[in-house]
Amino acid sequence: MTVDRREFLKIAGAGSAFLLAGEARATDEPQAIDCGQTYGVLVDTVVCIGCRKCEWACNTEHKLTDLPLPSYEDKSVFQRHRRPEHNAYTVVNRFFDPNTTKPYSIKVQCMHCNHPACASACIVGALRKEKQGPVSYDAWKCIGCRYCMVACPFQVPAYEYKEPLKPQVRKCTFCAHRLEEGKKPACVSICPNEALTFGTRQELMDMAHGRITASPEKYNNYVYGESEVGGTSWMYLAPTTFDQTELPKLPDEPIPPITETIQHGIFKSFIPPLALYGILGLIMHSLKGPEQEEINV
Amino acid sequence: MRTSLIIFLLCIVLASAAAAQTQERDLPKLKCSECHTCATPTPENMCLKPCPTLRIAHQKGTTHQLTEAPSMVILDEIADLYGPVHFNHKIHAGMAEMQSNCQTCHHFSPAGKIPPCKECHGAPNSPNTLKQPGLKGAYHRQCLSCHREWSHDTQCTICHVPQPGKGMTSVSSDSSDIMGVPHPMITVPTTKVYRTPYPPGPIVTFFHKEHVELFGLKCVSCHKHENCSNCHDLQTTERRKRTQAEVHAMCGDCHKTDDCAKCHDSKQKPAFTHAKTGWPLNRFHDQLDCRACHPTGKQIGRLNNQCVACHAGWNQGNFTHAVTGLDLDETHREVECADCHADRKYSDPPTCAGCHDDNRSYKDAPPGKLIRH
Amino acid sequence: MSKHNHAAPVRAPFLSAGTKVLAVIAGLGIASYIYRLFFGLASTTNLDNQYPWGIWISIDVASGVALAAGGFTTAALADIFHKERYHVIVRPALLTAMLGYTFVVIGLLADLGRYYNVWHPMLPSMWQGNSVLFEVGMCVMIYLTVLYIEFLPIVAERFKGRVNLPGVLRILNRFVDSWLTVCDKYLTRFISLFIIAGVVLSCLHQSSLGTLMVIAPTKMHPLWYSPISPLMFLLSAIAVGFPMVIFESIISSRSFRIPPETPVLSSIARYTPILLAIYLGVKIGDLTIREAWPYVFDGSLKSLLFIAEILLGVVAPAVLLTIPRVRRSVAGLLISSSLVIGGVVFNRINVFLVAYQPLYPVKTYFPSIFEIMVTIGLVAALVLVYRFIVMNFPVIAKPPTTPAGVRPAEGWLAESLREVE
Repeated sequence: MTVDRREFLKIAGAGSAFLLAGEARATDEPQAIDCGQTYGVLVDTVVCIGCRKCEWACNTEHKLTDLPLPSYEDKSVFQRHRRPEHNAYTVVNRFFDPNTTKPYSIKVQCMHCNHPACASACIVGALRKEKQGPVSYDAWKCIGCRYCMVACPFQVPAYEYKEPLKPQVRKCTFCAHRLEEGKKPACVSICPNEALTFGTRQELMDMAHGRITASPEKYNNYVYGESEVGGTSWMYLAPTTFDQTELPKLPDEPIPPITETIQHGIFKSFIPPLALYGILGLIMHSLKGPEQEEINV
Repeated sequence: MRTSLIIFLLCIVLASAAAAQTQERDLPKLKCSECHTCATPTPENMCLKPCPTLRIAHQKGTTHQLTEAPSMVILDEIADLYGPVHFNHKIHAGMAEMQSNCQTCHHFSPAGKIPPCKECHGAPNSPNTLKQPGLKGAYHRQCLSCHREWSHDTQCTICHVPQPGKGMTSVSSDSSDIMGVPHPMITVPTTKVYRTPYPPGPIVTFFHKEHVELFGLKCVSCHKHENCSNCHDLQTTERRKRTQAEVHAMCGDCHKTDDCAKCHDSKQKPAFTHAKTGWPLNRFHDQLDCRACHPTGKQIGRLNNQCVACHAGWNQGNFTHAVTGLDLDETHREVECADCHADRKYSDPPTCAGCHDDNRSYKDAPPGKLIRH
Repeated sequence: MSKHNHAAPVRAPFLSAGTKVLAVIAGLGIASYIYRLFFGLASTTNLDNQYPWGIWISIDVASGVALAAGGFTTAALADIFHKERYHVIVRPALLTAMLGYTFVVIGLLADLGRYYNVWHPMLPSMWQGNSVLFEVGMCVMIYLTVLYIEFLPIVAERFKGRVNLPGVLRILNRFVDSWLTVCDKYLTRFISLFIIAGVVLSCLHQSSLGTLMVIAPTKMHPLWYSPISPLMFLLSAIAVGFPMVIFESIISSRSFRIPPETPVLSSIARYTPILLAIYLGVKIGDLTIREAWPYVFDGSLKSLLFIAEILLGVVAPAVLLTIPRVRRSVAGLLISSSLVIGGVVFNRINVFLVAYQPLYPVKTYFPSIFEIMVTIGLVAALVLVYRFIVMNFPVIAKPPTTPAGVRPAEGWLAESLREVE
């Protein structure tokens, strides 16, 4: 039990050296993605006709299901609100404008947040925000903890629960492989009404506001995704407010800083843990010697 | 940047073309604000409006006749998953006349030849402008803006030939010209009774059938600004209510709207018959359009009921008396009209005393053969 | 390590009626566990896209880590603050922590979709310093290693100089023996470094477990969502440390029919009301600052669960343990410590399951029979391993009056049982 101060510090230092390395790597990671220049998609639910072609294109592109094209003309699926699943990265749901009682459709998929909570949560960095805009997923890294699903404020990631050995987290990939080839996402390419517009986020925001200004009678003056949880790559225009829809009402502040502030506060240059270590060491040293205290209850 | 440049160049081309025509024909100039949101657009910041739909002016003075238009167009430029669309242009053009003519669809229709959609709208997936839909979007939006509102259906095969496909879908239409345009037969209501918030006379009786049949009005005479979906929205049970101004404007084209009591009453009005005016219409007059006797542009009022007031050229030589129900015999055909019709009052019963002394009456001894019509 | 010299392996028959029941439960649990590893989560759990986490996370992992807090709190008290008389409970607490964390990892593996990738966070190429889970994982991993290192002297004490491995492993006998000797010789010199490291690591990941759900602010019920959740997790873990040691000590003494360390346990129980009061104070302050009080009394099921958690798990044991008569009686200690333990488990279930409100709920989550069997089975297996280790290693202190290896007299056994009941 006798360790002199120098020895103590030497071992303590060595022990935390590799932790320090981890901390350094985490903070050095360039998070400086210019969100205006990332790609995004503007979903204009006023133009959308709810034809579900995007579902077919997505399922075909990612080989999720092989249902034939005509089966997507079945509109009875609109009777309930569907959610993205492990075998359906995007789904279209129908809502009714309470003012005009007219129907409009909302396509749901991963929003590809500017500050994704899932990527902040991921223990191995399997999810990350790419410079082009997609929040990508690397199944090889994934350990299957599903913390991303807990973290996602849109409840988008789905899990292959039925896959016993190699389950994956499945969600819209933003067709990152197509973007690399210079192509638009499959859903955007097929959209017959061009309700989906692909472009840089800045262009899309200008365009969204332009459309609202040009036809204020058609649009509710709100671009969903412009500011939600710090902004998302996918944004929505709608004829009415989003209160009735499944797009949740969310704060403007990004989510990751909440936990990351706590996290990095506790580990600020490893000073708090080392300070605690030092204080405990000092206490241990100064209170040395068996204490003869009466047992007193 | 490249796409912005393309829009910019496109706009310059369009604007200069328009400007050229303006000079030639002295048409209204294209306003900057038609395309730009700001006052001073620069090449760096062009502040273009999203899409010229219904924004670029339909230049006044350019009229196109339905007959100039093609009757059938096959849209096959971008056929891919689905086959081409056989578009019956004639029927659609007829329908468009109900709204705002050609520019219902051809929102950019300068003088001269109307450009086809693909002239402005790029091919799908081409790096076309973000502000204007590509050809695919343009086609679908144009068609579905009406089709979807009517049927609430977006079934692709309504328009598209299934791929691989052959033949074309038949479009049935009854071209009875009731609307002035080819449109299937519409049942016109006889009388409509409206309750209005005008206390002295809450009831307005509108003789719809009368307006169509008696006054010979076409649907578009009153229904000038109707939207197809006003009638064709199958799911909307309640139609949009017209505003007071709109209602009065519809009648105001023909009726003066300063005398409320003319339409507003405390009870339902009986239907109009010409007999009430003291001039029951005979079977010939009955068939006439009101305006045939009552001059256009003037309030309908009492007319001179002398035949010659209208039939100025009638004389004993050219008038076929048989149309009155009496085919004059040889003798009487030679007689002057006024010999029987005293003072040329044709509404009064004719007298025989001018020639005959035997107190015979017209009824007992008609001067010819009576014809039943 | 002279002060541990009075600890010795407990002599008792391994199989008793109780252990047979435990063995059956553990067997069923292990069978379910193996079934899950090969047939996937869908066939064994009721987890879905709305509820990605179930009882394997809230009970096996989150509650497991909290209940293993006895290890670091006792070590801090006895070794850092030098309250030497508590040394008798350091080794049982250490063993509880070591096994607790081992079974936390085993339980976690069941929940991980790709359990064979559990080592990935160790690869520098996959370090993700922004992830709370990464911090928890790394701390748990390092702390588990520290716990094994802390346990090594006990192994050395037992087997140094008499390593006798069976069969072909005999050739390793000399190597293992010399390694144990080296461990015993050098490790004991630096053991204090590891003890302090263990306390620091515990503080870090106990609190970080509380940060886990902070990432879902929009999905959490306001009663449990708090930015200072990490502090509350740490305080509740510290508070549950001693009750866990008391509970485990009483149960094992009953099971092995040796007298409980009542004076030590009563003495250590004095700290618990203070720790619980601090925890309660922070909780009340948090509710006040966040203006969450209306939710406490809105009469919903969640508010009732919250009230039950606070009253039964915090207020009741805190009040009970301030009464000296309760602290002096084994039954009183057992009941109060059970309440604290139950309260903390209740809290972890509430935070990870009850408070979690999916955006598009279709059905509510209730664990499947497999999930329950794995959870209960792992607890049973832990108890059995604990029993095996204390019967083979010097963990539990010898009863002061009876020499090692001699079975206690019938007289005080009966007396002790009376005391318990």
